[in-house]
Amino acid sequence: MTNAEKPPGDLSGFPQASPGAVDPPVPEGSGVSELVEQSGRDWLPELRRPIPRWLTALAGIACVVICLGLWWWATAGAAEERLLLYSQLPSIRETIDYLPNLWDAAAPERHLWYNTKVSLGRVLLGFSLALCVGIPLGIAAGCFPVLQSALAPLILFGRNIPVAALTALVFALFGTGELQKVMFIFIACVAFILSDAISAVQEVGQRYVETALTLGASRLQIIVKVLVPLAMPMIFDSLRVLFGLAFGYIMLVEIIQEGQGAGGLGYLLNIARRRSRPEIMVIIVLTIPVVAWLIDQLLYAVQCLLFRWKYGREAEASVVLRFSRSILRLFWKNPDAVKSL
Amino acid sequence: MDFPFSGTGVMTQSNIVEFRSVTKTYNFGRPDAFTAIQQVSFTVEDLRDHGEFISILGPSGSGKSTILRLLAGLDPQHPPTSGTVLVAGRPVTGPGADRGMVFQDYTSFDHRTVLDNVAFGLECRGVSKSERYAKAREWIARVGLDVQADAVKYPHELSGGMRQRVAIARTLILHPRIILMDEPFGALDPHNRYQMQDLLVSLWRHVQATVFFVTHSVEEAVYLGDRVFVLSRSPGTLLHQIAVPPPDRPAAEMQRDPAFQQKVFEIRDILEQLETSPRGSGNPAGFERS
Ligand SMILES: Nc1ncnc2c1ncn2[C@@H]1O[C@H](COP(=O)(O)OP(=O)(O)O)[C@@H](O)[C@H]1O
Ligand SMILES: [Mg+2]
Repeated sequence: MTNAEKPPGDLSGFPQASPGAVDPPVPEGSGVSELVEQSGRDWLPELRRPIPRWLTALAGIACVVICLGLWWWATAGAAEERLLLYSQLPSIRETIDYLPNLWDAAAPERHLWYNTKVSLGRVLLGFSLALCVGIPLGIAAGCFPVLQSALAPLILFGRNIPVAALTALVFALFGTGELQKVMFIFIACVAFILSDAISAVQEVGQRYVETALTLGASRLQIIVKVLVPLAMPMIFDSLRVLFGLAFGYIMLVEIIQEGQGAGGLGYLLNIARRRSRPEIMVIIVLTIPVVAWLIDQLLYAVQCLLFRWKYGREAEASVVLRFSRSILRLFWKNPDAVKSL
Repeated sequence: MDFPFSGTGVMTQSNIVEFRSVTKTYNFGRPDAFTAIQQVSFTVEDLRDHGEFISILGPSGSGKSTILRLLAGLDPQHPPTSGTVLVAGRPVTGPGADRGMVFQDYTSFDHRTVLDNVAFGLECRGVSKSERYAKAREWIARVGLDVQADAVKYPHELSGGMRQRVAIARTLILHPRIILMDEPFGALDPHNRYQMQDLLVSLWRHVQATVFFVTHSVEEAVYLGDRVFVLSRSPGTLLHQIAVPPPDRPAAEMQRDPAFQQKVFEIRDILEQLETSPRGSGNPAGFERS
């Protein structure tokens, strides 16, 4: 908070002679022993205390084991006796047994990776389109409030559009082709990108702008040299979140299209429904988050490299970065060269 | 960046800065109108080869930052509600590189290395890369940073004192006529503070600019200043302009001198009186035209 933002009458920061403010009276002889007792009585674990790495891993593994256990328990037993029937939730065994079918070279249209790639391609295209429109416009609107006010109604509608209604809308507008899928992602994302870019620019402290002004920068120079570079990390943050969401939503429109050549994970879900193969559904539910997480980690690594001035050492914590570095190390003995990656 | 001293305009006197009954009322004409400074007038002469060093003291909220930002031409302090702020005989119309400013909170551009931070102003002027980097290195050394090790660092790798050195280098590289410093060392520990004061004294002799220096430390004000301005409680008026001897020894040494401390106590008494005297030495929302 700069001085300029201080409310009138804010006298903080200057030694104040306030004779009225005396420490509250402390009852004598009760202080120390009571404190010790209290910390002994607290049954909760230490607040926010970092835990060792093995405990982090153990806690995560424990969660997975419990979930798998529940899954196993709910689907154990003979076909008629199990808690959840095959059509409701296939067992672990059944799911694993079906997996090779999604690997089968004889039926590439059912291939899990192939369909993931198709879906990913569509998301990438629609998302890039949304970036091209949203980021420049958002930055401009963050710099010039008039533009922001003009865009406000569009952003309001764009952000609150119900996804289910949007699938119907793009179906009506663009049919069932590629255009429909790309436009779905574009419309679903552009308003969010726009508003996040606006707030990222607005979030940059006014003092940076003022400093640049007193150093003789022109308005355009301030936008290009100060506001945009300082806003970029925050914009990138929101892009990572949005990309994950978009990747989850793409199936909603893919599922509309039937028949050959459609492709995509939504298409795979269609096959699952038509052939009554719930395993496919389970496999998709289990793989998508992993793929999304990998992409997010990759983007995070890119972010750390792009904005080294901000993340510095944080980049070291990136799993993908560490992983790719250790792979590089297998082939490349010079540790310094790898370290500067 | 240059001020034409000949030609059109009201270029009569050789004052580098002049405040003519400047009043600033924030939110003027609205119910939450608030007068920060009232009828402030002073002049600072443009002495050849010697910029004057003005320290500004006053209770919190007395309008010290307001005065500095009026000089810098920054919103929303600029323009004054009434009166005129003149720099080199011309009314201030907006910010410019002729009036460099160093803020209390570190405003290094986080995405630029120290070198690119210091070279920022020259870059904006379109100075070629090799030339501006050469100059920037010169200034990095001049403010006591290590050209080899520090020039390539990003601000998040620097301590507070180092960041203020960068901010000072970044401002002085442009050779401003006026340097505005709003509690620049307020967040530094005493040892760092002495060092920065010594640095400032040596640099100031080098650049010969007029300096306006806001501080909460009476010692700092008396040590650095040629003149100390004391503002009244809100709404701020200029109560005293006290001439003090210029710094002739290192900060830590001179500030132990009894004569120096005598001066400090004098001014501290004035300030203490301001702090404890009942509010109402002026009308809080008062805005009177004379
Ligand atoms: N933009 C503003 N709007 C309204 N009041 C302000 C604004 N900026 C400062 N003030 C008020 O004006 C008074 C003087 O502020 P300032 O010049 O920052 O004081 P100082 O720097 O001496 O502490 C303070 O009471 C402050 O609350
Ligand atoms: Mg202030």
